Amino acid sequence: MSEVRIAAEPRTEFGKGPARRTRRAGRVPAVLYGHGTDPQHISLPGHDLMLALKTPNVLLRVEGLAGGAELALPKDVQKDPLKGFLEHIDLLLVKLGEKVTVEIPIQLNGEIQSGAQLNQEMVQISVEAEATHIPQVVELDIDGLAPGDVIHAKDLKLPAGATLAGDEDALVLQVVEPKAAEAEEGAEAEVAPATEEAAAE
Amino acid sequence: MAKGGTKVTFGEYGIQAVEGHYVTNRQIEAARIAMTRHIKRGGKVWINIFPDRPLTKKPAETRMGSGKGSPEWWIANVKPGRVMFELSYPNEEVAREALTRAIHKLPMKCRIVKREVGES
Repeated sequence: MSEVRIAAEPRTEFGKGPARRTRRAGRVPAVLYGHGTDPQHISLPGHDLMLALKTPNVLLRVEGLAGGAELALPKDVQKDPLKGFLEHIDLLLVKLGEKVTVEIPIQLNGEIQSGAQLNQEMVQISVEAEATHIPQVVELDIDGLAPGDVIHAKDLKLPAGATLAGDEDALVLQVVEPKAAEAEEGAEAEVAPATEEAAAE
Repeated sequence: MAKGGTKVTFGEYGIQAVEGHYVTNRQIEAARIAMTRHIKRGGKVWINIFPDRPLTKKPAETRMGSGKGSPEWWIANVKPGRVMFELSYPNEEVAREALTRAIHKLPMKCRIVKREVGES
């Protein structure tokens, strides 16, 4: 995975007023930390950062810092829930060759048997990989899976260089028989009074 | 603005409140039924809000005083940005239609949101 260069400017004033001024200027307040160093408060160009974050787990080369350019991964991204603009980002310092634990989306390929129901319990999986070679997705072939088939984390074929970081017995997905239509109607009839009762209490 | 529950977490699609409103238990149930009846089978529905707040009302034609009214409705206080319902279904067109039908049962302006790739 290639890195994205992004120019940072140090922030000297803090709080909601200065943060809002930063956002009005088209920049995003950010903090950079990791490896036991003191956190560095910076601001990043909003549009460039938004484009870079379209790639999950993008590796950023943050330039313009006091100690020279640093590699970083997005740790936490805060967005406005309605308008979607970036409010703040936490960046985690990484070094070349360092192994990091990241969440990678699981991409399903193929179709399960017709008439069966797919219950996907996990949409992302936690893997450990080199910071400079983080895989984009974990592909999973579900073609022809029948009711009763279960896939656990240990059954996934992880990309080269990546190892499983979480529980290997964690359930990724299972294929089940769909509930009968009559049973669902019955379930609805059961749920409705229950909700009323819960409310009445 | 909602402080949490603003992302699609469990399913693939969700109904997000664009404005704040009280949602009653009846509206939640009506929306759920509209959604599940449309998808028939093969999908999964999550309800992320719960009507845990009572609203009281004094009976009609009573004089003021003599205590507080009795609980009349149970509501969920929904803030803008909150993802109230989530749905997982293999066909996107059917899923969107099911969510649109559920939105018609809700009292506020809502929109359908989809889980972004890489969003946790």
